[in-house]
Amino acid sequence: MKSVIRSFLRYIVRRRGLSALQLLGIAVGVTAAVGMMLASRSALKSIEGAVDFLRGGATHTLERPTGPLEEKVLAGLLTDPAVRTVAPVIDRQVRIEGGERIRLLGLDPFLDREIRSIADRIGESESGDVRRKIFTSFLFDPGAVLVDAGTAKRLGLSAGSIFKTSQGPLRVVYVFPNPTGEPLIVADIGHAQELFGMRGAIDRVDMVIIDDDPFRARWVRGFKIESNHQKAETLAALLGAFELNLQVLSLFALFVGVFLIYNTAMFAVVSRRRDAGILLAIGASRRQIAAAFLVEVLLLGAAGGALGGVLGFLLSGFLVKVVGNAISSLYFFLKPAALPWSFLNLAGGIFLGAAASLVGCLPSLLELGRVQPVRVLQGRTASRSAPTKTKNIALLGVLCLVVAGILFGLASRHVYVGFAGVFAFLIGASLFTGLAIVLSVPVLKPLFSVAMGLSGKIAVGNIRENLGRTSVAVAAFMIALSLSIGLGAMIDSFRQSVVWWMNSQLRGDLYISTKGDVNVPEDFYEELGAIQGIGGIDIFRNVPITFRGKPASITSIDASVLQRYDRFVWFEGGGENWEPVKRGSVIVSESFSRRFGVKKGDRISLEGADGPSDLAVTGVFYDYSTEHGVIMMDRSTYLKLFRDRTINSLGIFIDVTNPNRRQIIDEVKHRALVRGLPVATREEFHKRILDIFDGTFAVTRSMRVLAVIVAFFGIAGALMTLFVERRKEFGIYRALGFSTGDMVRMTIAESVAMGFISFATSTLVGTAFALILIKVINLQSFNWTVFYHFTPQPYLVTALTALAASLAAAAYPVWSVFRKYPAMQIREE
Amino acid sequence: MGESIIRTYGLWKRYEVQGHDGAAIRGVDLDIQRGQIVVLFGKSGSGKTTYLNLIAGLDMPTKGRIEIDGQDLAVLGEAGRTLLRRNKLGFVFQFFNLLPTLTALENVYLALELTGVADAKPALETLALVDLRGKENRYPHELSGGEQQRVAIARALVKKPSIILADEPTGNLDSATGTQILALLVETCRAAGTTLIMVSHALNTCEYADRILRMTDGRIVEVSTCEALAH
Repeated sequence: MKSVIRSFLRYIVRRRGLSALQLLGIAVGVTAAVGMMLASRSALKSIEGAVDFLRGGATHTLERPTGPLEEKVLAGLLTDPAVRTVAPVIDRQVRIEGGERIRLLGLDPFLDREIRSIADRIGESESGDVRRKIFTSFLFDPGAVLVDAGTAKRLGLSAGSIFKTSQGPLRVVYVFPNPTGEPLIVADIGHAQELFGMRGAIDRVDMVIIDDDPFRARWVRGFKIESNHQKAETLAALLGAFELNLQVLSLFALFVGVFLIYNTAMFAVVSRRRDAGILLAIGASRRQIAAAFLVEVLLLGAAGGALGGVLGFLLSGFLVKVVGNAISSLYFFLKPAALPWSFLNLAGGIFLGAAASLVGCLPSLLELGRVQPVRVLQGRTASRSAPTKTKNIALLGVLCLVVAGILFGLASRHVYVGFAGVFAFLIGASLFTGLAIVLSVPVLKPLFSVAMGLSGKIAVGNIRENLGRTSVAVAAFMIALSLSIGLGAMIDSFRQSVVWWMNSQLRGDLYISTKGDVNVPEDFYEELGAIQGIGGIDIFRNVPITFRGKPASITSIDASVLQRYDRFVWFEGGGENWEPVKRGSVIVSESFSRRFGVKKGDRISLEGADGPSDLAVTGVFYDYSTEHGVIMMDRSTYLKLFRDRTINSLGIFIDVTNPNRRQIIDEVKHRALVRGLPVATREEFHKRILDIFDGTFAVTRSMRVLAVIVAFFGIAGALMTLFVERRKEFGIYRALGFSTGDMVRMTIAESVAMGFISFATSTLVGTAFALILIKVINLQSFNWTVFYHFTPQPYLVTALTALAASLAAAAYPVWSVFRKYPAMQIREE
Repeated sequence: MGESIIRTYGLWKRYEVQGHDGAAIRGVDLDIQRGQIVVLFGKSGSGKTTYLNLIAGLDMPTKGRIEIDGQDLAVLGEAGRTLLRRNKLGFVFQFFNLLPTLTALENVYLALELTGVADAKPALETLALVDLRGKENRYPHELSGGEQQRVAIARALVKKPSIILADEPTGNLDSATGTQILALLVETCRAAGTTLIMVSHALNTCEYADRILRMTDGRIVEVSTCEALAH
């Protein structure tokens, strides 16, 4: 048995160039999966860590459904028999120089002792007197703050340093260790109230509750009470679709990797078939041969997986920042730190590489198990009959597409069903590559003949002749290119839809304070209202809520202003919706409507400051601001329900016919700047939204690149194998007088033609893939309609990628031709 | 009359070629005795290799029965036939069919290892027997055609099989080397009492045979002398 295994394993060394290509292909596939999984886990762990650290020993939080909570509520809580400990919190963000946002917590250092360890640690490394001095400074000096060690180090801060923020200068009195790695500034709650203009108000109360139900019964009206468990569920729900999409993206890259392994294993079978015939003839059993082949494939898979595990860890360092930025842009502030190195990464990589190899080599293993020694020892190869199989394989492809269609039909049951449909579609599409080659060759032959002479003609013929070998490489490459086109077209369509949405709903001439960390004082709104010539000011307030146990948000606007100036596009209803909104009805976003099954004419119940209120839904509008859904209402309704006067931002509308338009805009800008409020023109605001959009899809773009790299190794491996397998043929070419240059041209032509067929097929498959992502996956994951927009860019980028990858893939085989062809002879062994 | 080691009864092998039936073997009855050196002549396509493959259990007959050492191949099943090849049969092919990734010694030892022997000494001795001492660690591509065929013979001999099946063992060698190989193969088989069935179309092979058979269109006839064969 050892000799049988040895005879197979030595191929790895004997064909080391090819083995290296195969190993790298597997490694890149695993890198993508491990990198993305680690980045995803880092983000989750960071969220959990931050939540745990900030929550401390609290069991519950209490806040208003929207907006700040009056400080006087604390008195009632302190006397409640179910409450053991109470700690008021202000939880906001400040922007430091350079634009970075950092969380600022306002805490009561005395009450907070029972909940968190931060207050206890103030000055802990210092002696008694110094410690007291630091504590006193923290308590009484306005602008005195604690800064976590990581941020302090990064910004070069130490005790005594003063740094500028969007809320004014802050002075560091002490640097404390923060095990979560999240940047954090801590201020005394009194100072925090001053900083954010929240005198008499707090954001929430963290508590230790000893008797849940009676407490909830007493505080049910006008408050939102969340246990730790509920908070964790809310967070998970908030990130659920995003996380799932990240995981699936990484699986796409691994999927291409599995194709590559199948490719690799199939080539291995081609060269092992003869050996298997010999071994069977001299008395080896089929099981021994299969085991030897399995050892070879698994070893290569495990080695590639190990490399992928290490590279995936390195990649996660980059991806975690991209994921963190995307989560911060879309959901909540997060600066996740990459997970430290663990040997589990290596083990995980090995497992993935080996498992993918096992899946990828199964068809080849079955083929090897069916080897007929009589046939192979007579020199008959299975690939000769491959063209006859093309039709049957294509029929199998049709079956897969039918299965995919059924799964898409059932996708509304669960998004996983939709994803299963996507994979069935991709497998089905890949089964058509043999047919695509058969159909393309008659067209390509004359073209390549004109362009590259006889070498080009023979090269295209070779692709057809070696269909069994070339079709899998073309399939792997085609799938990677389809992913590139599909993801690119989906992103472009989504982007166009967002642009369309912005142009219809965000039509203000100026936007004040849209960055989320600076609110607009109410008196500033009144001040602007006094400026002559302003057509309307939309007062915008957005608050996250929990609706029927799931995250959603409430947005308050000025319905009269939007009715006059915006061009809302309605999913249900039309412009007539504004009149009932002015009278107290609400409109909901498409994602809200789909998630909660709420339609025009339905009624929804919201927990307001005075208890639940029933509201009529008068329309459904298109919206891409959040996939969790928006309930939009007029500000008057919002104030009545929640008594929260906070203004997040203002949209200023000026009639286009106003002759003083320019001066009014300048005046508003000037007044906002005097108040320290950020101002953006419509174009700037739209650009910022698109920047966030592009940042969100940075991960997707990374995965596109990785999938193409994986496929590149596939096509390079295929060419190399063809070169190795056809030595005898090359000897004949040489005898016939083909020069080294002719062979180089032939090799390049084969690669480019395979790239061309892959690209041509991928334009169809990629477009269909984009439509599936848009019409099935996006709709299921995010509950919003994206409109397909054709843009040439994904196709052009992919065409160039295909050409570059084909040429690059030919480099090593061409080098081998230069090195080996001049000495090749016609020989049997 | 010696002890029978190979018996075939009414052996037929049909192939379906492009829609119509073609028979490679047509009702062959044959009895070969232990230790005999049998040469099977015939033109290309006459069915010689097919007959050899049937005897080895690599291919199954369409009709008829094969007994090797008293065992019916059809009754043995796939696993039994594998064990038979492993323990009782040795193969020598025209194109040597050595595993390219194993050295000469490893190729020979492979056959031994399959029978469960964990000692490489017999492999070394057999390589010395076929005059390849000093070339044990060379890979097939580092050996000449004649040397590769010697390795193949060593691989067939090392496990001391009852039968060696040789399919055109000199077909890919020059005549001088071919003669040497032939002599070596026959001598070693005679010395070990091994039955040798050799397929050939080279007439000089006839001189080494105890028994001469000619195959024509799937049928076997006995030929009494080398001269008769030439006619």
